[in-house]
Amino acid sequence: MKLLIDVGSTYIKTASAHGLSQHFRDFSRPIHEDLRAKCGELLQGVPKEDIYICSSANGGLSTLIIGLTHSFSLKYAKNITYNAGINIIDTVLYKDIAHAPVPGDVLDVVILVGGIDGVNGVFDDALLTYLQNLNYTNLVYVGTAQDTPFISANLPHAILLPNIIDERLHIQEEPLKTTLTNLYQADIMGKEEIKELYAITANQIYPTPYIVNRALPRIGEQLEVVDPFIVLDIGGATTDIHYSKDLVSERLLTGNAYDRLVFKKLGVYKSKESLIHAAKQNEYVYELLSTLDVTEKIFEEHSEKALHVLMQLSIFLVLYKTSKFHQGYITLGLERLESIVLTGGITKVLSQEECESILHFFYKKILGLHHAPAVVLDTHYAIWTLGITGEHHVD
Amino acid sequence: MSLFERERQTIVSNEYVDNFDFAEVEEFVKGADKNLFISHHYATKTKMLVQPRGGFPTYQKMFKLYETFAGAGIDVLPITIDSHTRLNDYASAKKMLMLSEENETDMLNGFPLINHGYRTTRKMMTHFNLPVSLRHGTPDARLLVETAIASGIFEIEGGPITYMLPYSKNFPLDKAFLYWKYVEKVCAHYSTLNLPINRESFGPLTATLVPPAITIVIQLLEMLLSLEEGVRSFSVSFSQSGSLSQDIITAKVLKKLAPHYAALHGCAGAKTQLVYHQWMGAFPRNKEFSDALITTATLVATLVGADKIITKTRDEAFGIPTMECNAQAVANTQYILRIVQGLPQFEDGEEEEHLELAVHAIMEAVFNDPADSLWRKAFNAIKHGIIDVPFSPHIINHNAILTLRDPSGSIRIVEPGNVPIPARCLAYERAKAGSFENKTAMVEKIIHDIGVMQ
Repeated sequence: MKLLIDVGSTYIKTASAHGLSQHFRDFSRPIHEDLRAKCGELLQGVPKEDIYICSSANGGLSTLIIGLTHSFSLKYAKNITYNAGINIIDTVLYKDIAHAPVPGDVLDVVILVGGIDGVNGVFDDALLTYLQNLNYTNLVYVGTAQDTPFISANLPHAILLPNIIDERLHIQEEPLKTTLTNLYQADIMGKEEIKELYAITANQIYPTPYIVNRALPRIGEQLEVVDPFIVLDIGGATTDIHYSKDLVSERLLTGNAYDRLVFKKLGVYKSKESLIHAAKQNEYVYELLSTLDVTEKIFEEHSEKALHVLMQLSIFLVLYKTSKFHQGYITLGLERLESIVLTGGITKVLSQEECESILHFFYKKILGLHHAPAVVLDTHYAIWTLGITGEHHVD
Repeated sequence: MSLFERERQTIVSNEYVDNFDFAEVEEFVKGADKNLFISHHYATKTKMLVQPRGGFPTYQKMFKLYETFAGAGIDVLPITIDSHTRLNDYASAKKMLMLSEENETDMLNGFPLINHGYRTTRKMMTHFNLPVSLRHGTPDARLLVETAIASGIFEIEGGPITYMLPYSKNFPLDKAFLYWKYVEKVCAHYSTLNLPINRESFGPLTATLVPPAITIVIQLLEMLLSLEEGVRSFSVSFSQSGSLSQDIITAKVLKKLAPHYAALHGCAGAKTQLVYHQWMGAFPRNKEFSDALITTATLVATLVGADKIITKTRDEAFGIPTMECNAQAVANTQYILRIVQGLPQFEDGEEEEHLELAVHAIMEAVFNDPADSLWRKAFNAIKHGIIDVPFSPHIINHNAILTLRDPSGSIRIVEPGNVPIPARCLAYERAKAGSFENKTAMVEKIIHDIGVMQ
């Protein structure tokens, strides 16, 4: 019997032949202790080889990217990083590096990218000055091969990888993607909280978003989804969106037809305050609240109803932030969307009707359309199951 | 209701579609006149079918175009779809259609089929009672094809490779394969109700120094992808290359290998036809020269034994042709087909052998891909440069293959990139192409060869 475990920032979810269960995290004790306390019976008798774990706890790796242009190096590095399930704290355009703010927190990874092979002298002392003030653990270089001597001479700790931009300006994702998932592993090993989990599993622990993204090409085997679609994974700390690439006009050629984007401040538990703040800034939210038959007082409540509204708001805000009405990292052709898949904790809270009402409001009010895409609720975590084991059912 | 039926319901549940009634459409297809089916005309024809291209935004103008074509003795009506619809942007198409209707100016470069809807369009199609061919260049043609067949349009052009590599820069190719799988299923389904819906591949590709081996491989793959979904009538096609002898050999090999590979995949019962496109590259600005080029193409079409010819106009270098000019091109082509009789047979055993060998080698490389489905094998072949289309704008295409014309005008592969051309074939191609002092001389020759007809 296989046992699947997803360690989230708010909940621990399990799936086995006995069914699904989810447990609210007890933040006063380490994850592995909490897991053993809540799922001890489940864990008993299951061999390590049959336990699969993914985690989005602790927000994964924090990453800063330094690149040369928004059109190529930064865009490519962001794409690979997101699809590896890693969260980006900030990006720095190299021409502005002298005046760029230095994040105060310790960063897990700094990615350095820019130039095509054949070009040299892209990076200079300005980079070294900036990095001296930066507090980080790992540095990964994926820029022009000609600057490798400069990087290795001045930054001997840097991990040197092939350029992610090839001579035809195509994206080369594998080396960086592999390195980032390996760093994620190393990060887990370094975190007392999670590394104990290796005591119960013999399998690699992956970031949850990576697992979800991996499952998408086969999603049709489990759910009635019509392409093009998006998957919204609304969690406690962040909201992930995975989207069909044909919904964007500026596409990169990668091995996957689906890309990921993360909204770090649209979670309904740990990021609740920033979610409410974002909602209050949105010009349509008060209209939306009246459609939902609530007032803004709901923001101050701690009720079941308030949780429903927050989740509905997060759906609305993600759609808004990816629509043509908002200048962001990506603009999706939402008018071409056929299905919207909701996964994660949200499926245990919101009903089909509650999701559809938000979608109809968004499509009618924002896009001016009378028809909205079909809503598919992944109530049994089919995407997660498929992504983590490559199989449809847990048996 | 099956999963596919539910998917179809989702596709037609669209802001711009007014109550799509599948049951009514099925009844219409069941009872549709056989003259609407090009498959019927292919089966009973006594001459090569002639079809132009053409599409205007408003119903009235499209109707007028068809009247003009009918007067020119047309065999197959075209319905060229506008660019907004091709990109699934029905909102812009709707707006431009309204402007076209209000101002009597063409604000679209084709017929916005989705916005007109199938009920309206069907009136026109059944009125003329001729086969209609959908020409559209759309990566995601699911709704378009549903609407087309519901309108009485029973020939669907295109395919996941031929409508992507020449037309699109970065639409995800794997998605295109899946969207076209849907199209094939729809065509196959309706083919069970009456005569077969015909599918036609778009052989010209980029129309820029595409070697015959690549053209044929892509034609065969699109044919197989179509047949494996249940389509029973399929047209392979290619365009005038600029070398009469090469076109004849291309046609011979294509005609021979289409049924061969169909049978190999358990689809021996499928009907295949050959379609020839008049010159698809850059046209001369001299209209008399254009006329000569078109006339020559018609002559070649006769020599290759095409089942259908797709015409061009003398206005090609200047933009969208007028109705009259387009109709004139049809009439001229019909006239040439009438007077060109008793042409001699042309043979070139060596050329034919090398071309066939190259096609088999590439096909084998595609089939040897470890993927579990044909579409994925074809996708991987393109991704790895095993299939490489010269001058394709698509980011997935390798563009590593180098081709140019030999002294007789035939297109030759001088640098194969990752295309697995057998050594013997490559040596033959290079020997025909001749040698060059340096790369610069080669590039200059390629540039010259692209504009060879200008």
